[in-house]
Amino acid sequence: MSLLRLENVTKQFGGLVAVNNVSFEIKEGEFLGIVGTNGSGKTTLFNVINGVFFPEQGRVFFNDMDITRTPSYKRAPLGIGRTFQIPRPFASATVRENIAVGAMFGTMGKQLNVDQSLEVADHVIERMGLGKHRLKSAGLLTPVEKKLMEIGRALAMRPRLLLMDEAMAGMHPNDIDDMVEMIISIGKEENIAIVAMVEHIMRAVVGMAEKLIVLDQGEKIVDAPTDEALADSRVVDAYLGKSGETKDA
Amino acid sequence: MIFEQLMGNIVQGLILGAVYGMATMGLSLIFGVLKVVNVGHGAFIMVGAFITLFFFNTLGLNPLLAIPVAFAVGLAIGLLFYHTAIKRLLNAPELATLLATFSAGVLLEESIKLIFGSEFRGYNWDIGNIDLGFTALPVSKLYACLGSVLIALLLYIWFNRTRAGTAMRSVVEDSEGARVCGVNVQGAYAMSFAIGIGLTVASGVLLTMFIPVGINPYMGGGYTLKAFVIAVLGGLASPYGAFFGGLVFGFIENTSYTLFALLPGVEPFALTRFLSFMILLIILLIRPTGIIKAK
Amino acid sequence: MNSKLKKYYPLLPVCVAYLILFLVGRNVTGIWQLVSTLLFYCALGQAFNIFLGMTGYVDFGYVAFLGVGTYGMATAVTGLAGYEGLGVGVIVIGFALAVIMATLLSMAVGAVALRLRGAYFAIATIGVNEGFRYLIEGANLWNGSSGMIFTAELNQILGRDLAGRVMTFWADILVLIIGVAAAVVTLLYMNSKIGYALTALREDEDAAKVMGIHVTKFKIIAFITSASFAGMVGAASWALKTPYVFPPEVFEIHYTIEAIIIVMLGGAGTLMGPLVGALIYGVSKYYLSIFLPGFQLFIFALVIIVIIVLFPEGVVGVLKGKTRNNRLKQLIL
Repeated sequence: MSLLRLENVTKQFGGLVAVNNVSFEIKEGEFLGIVGTNGSGKTTLFNVINGVFFPEQGRVFFNDMDITRTPSYKRAPLGIGRTFQIPRPFASATVRENIAVGAMFGTMGKQLNVDQSLEVADHVIERMGLGKHRLKSAGLLTPVEKKLMEIGRALAMRPRLLLMDEAMAGMHPNDIDDMVEMIISIGKEENIAIVAMVEHIMRAVVGMAEKLIVLDQGEKIVDAPTDEALADSRVVDAYLGKSGETKDA
Repeated sequence: MIFEQLMGNIVQGLILGAVYGMATMGLSLIFGVLKVVNVGHGAFIMVGAFITLFFFNTLGLNPLLAIPVAFAVGLAIGLLFYHTAIKRLLNAPELATLLATFSAGVLLEESIKLIFGSEFRGYNWDIGNIDLGFTALPVSKLYACLGSVLIALLLYIWFNRTRAGTAMRSVVEDSEGARVCGVNVQGAYAMSFAIGIGLTVASGVLLTMFIPVGINPYMGGGYTLKAFVIAVLGGLASPYGAFFGGLVFGFIENTSYTLFALLPGVEPFALTRFLSFMILLIILLIRPTGIIKAK
Repeated sequence: MNSKLKKYYPLLPVCVAYLILFLVGRNVTGIWQLVSTLLFYCALGQAFNIFLGMTGYVDFGYVAFLGVGTYGMATAVTGLAGYEGLGVGVIVIGFALAVIMATLLSMAVGAVALRLRGAYFAIATIGVNEGFRYLIEGANLWNGSSGMIFTAELNQILGRDLAGRVMTFWADILVLIIGVAAAVVTLLYMNSKIGYALTALREDEDAAKVMGIHVTKFKIIAFITSASFAGMVGAASWALKTPYVFPPEVFEIHYTIEAIIIVMLGGAGTLMGPLVGALIYGVSKYYLSIFLPGFQLFIFALVIIVIIVLFPEGVVGVLKGKTRNNRLKQLIL
């Protein structure tokens, strides 16, 4: 059964078509990579999935429920978590409080009180290796720590689906490997479907993804299991062939 | 009788409206370029009014001569305020610029109060009337209206025909893109802020032609509210929208006063001011999506 | 159990400060007038902080809630003066009415304004006090611009002696209680999901929404809470202390300015901030009015700009940063 399904989604801004007639689906626990250059409509697609924008056309289903026009704050409790391209911590709050917010208003939000949420946060902090920053203001973290914290905040929501927007940008390749490995193992343990969005074909992400979707100027040009997608001539042209070098790959 | 009165209201309203519009252009310019709402707007208008008083009462000069001086004073205040405070707050939460401009307004009010006192003042620049049959139009108001239109035109030309103006427009459209294209965004910010304040102080000169005895350090509050109504009428980020918003608002204000006066047992002056507040709320209510631009 | 209790430690300095204020006021002759003013500023700041401090939204029309609260008490006193035997009950009804009216107004304003973001919210609120004032004057509600004077009715209800004591003493004690109550509610909010939601939306509203926070709901909670405390402050400090009400006085934007100064000076969004801000503001205003009369607002406007540019976290915010690794830290919130 599909966890998330998009049917012919189109989103425009003024005359500009940011996402054009895109359909795809993700199964439970699946790891999906979305590749697309800057301006290919990736972030807009995320914003449609988690309800920041509503599409002009098409529908979005989550667990077979139509959520096309469900406001974003109602999607989080359904199990859609997200990280941002540029981390957006609640700067004045501590790391612990930031992550607790995830637990408090996520899928378990109704059951957890503040103290229990803080306990969840402590577990996540340990898991993410943020122990020594537990009581630091999130605004004082380094960019990489902010990213980790943001992923932790999303994981504390106990999501069914985790949307990661350029989660690895600006990180050291070794860190990327570790992080991707950790995220995937958490995803498998807790049966979280993960959509990782990247600008380039990164070995770490693409290598682990079960399925790859390639976006170009708002349109989906490839949607196939990873090995097939990588062999696709359009992908080769767009990412490997023309530039003459294999970025990060 | 009522019809003639309404005709008179329309004409008077449009004349006042042009001045209102000009008095709001600075607010819209600053918001359009810097995304800063100048909550102290009215206080800057008040400074212009006091400059006019000084010109007419103390120096015995034609009040229209105060316009360039007021503009220059506004530029100076704007630059000073931009470089001491606003510049450092552009990346801070919105609360910071809101409170800073608000406090700057209070600071100006208090400064003027300390220098000139807080009693109501005025001046009488009587240079005759033009009789239109249904209403008599003071020539001074006509000058104020023409002055506003002229200043709006100058701003338009400056925006569209000069390098600096074009740079500023590009910042309004897309500050990041402008930066990439080599526009000095910081410079454009400082200049827009200074010009915005300059326009606002200058508009204070023109507004005095409509308030013979209403000049006082605290006169600005009402104009701040009116300017917001006008700005949202015309689209908050567009100086020309603001100008046309001003025309509409001047008309509404003048006409509603006449209509409220027909109702028994109410105070038309107060109700007119209440109405302007309601217009503000209603526009914000029905067009929040049109007014708030999604990122 | 112990950790549950620990959450309420920050109330200790608040209560101690109020106690000292009260004792000084009772024991130093001729100082009650100043203490009464300080109590008003404390309560005003504490109430305003629940909205401005916790949400980061600026309500420039905040004084309107004090205004309608004053009218609520005035309505109860004038309307019920004819009924024998209600006595102090009238005051209770007056407070209830003040809260109801402030809540209704905040719901009406909030329904429009709280759907708007940051700057647009501020624009929408800037005319609330004036708008309401001109509605009362223009439509001749509650006697319109002539206002209401109800000293006689208050005397009739409470008897001349008690009414006198209420005006000179008990009204101030009520303001003190309102201030403490607002501090307690602030702390309760801070320790609950409401506080976490408000912090999140204050820091980044879009991210908060994506995290599952119904931002409008929480903003409205903070707005209504803050407004009802303001209504009570108006009812106690204005209606009971000086039993008359005139629209231009109770809708004067000056009080919003003072509330902003107090909250920003002390530290927006902190528990102790409004109290510290109120004491600094009140005492320095008092001495400025003696040594530099007329300069008070001029100086405070400058101070606010300096604070916003250099110390946006306010006095308590700075202290909090300094005591981070200190035993005192659990007392400062």
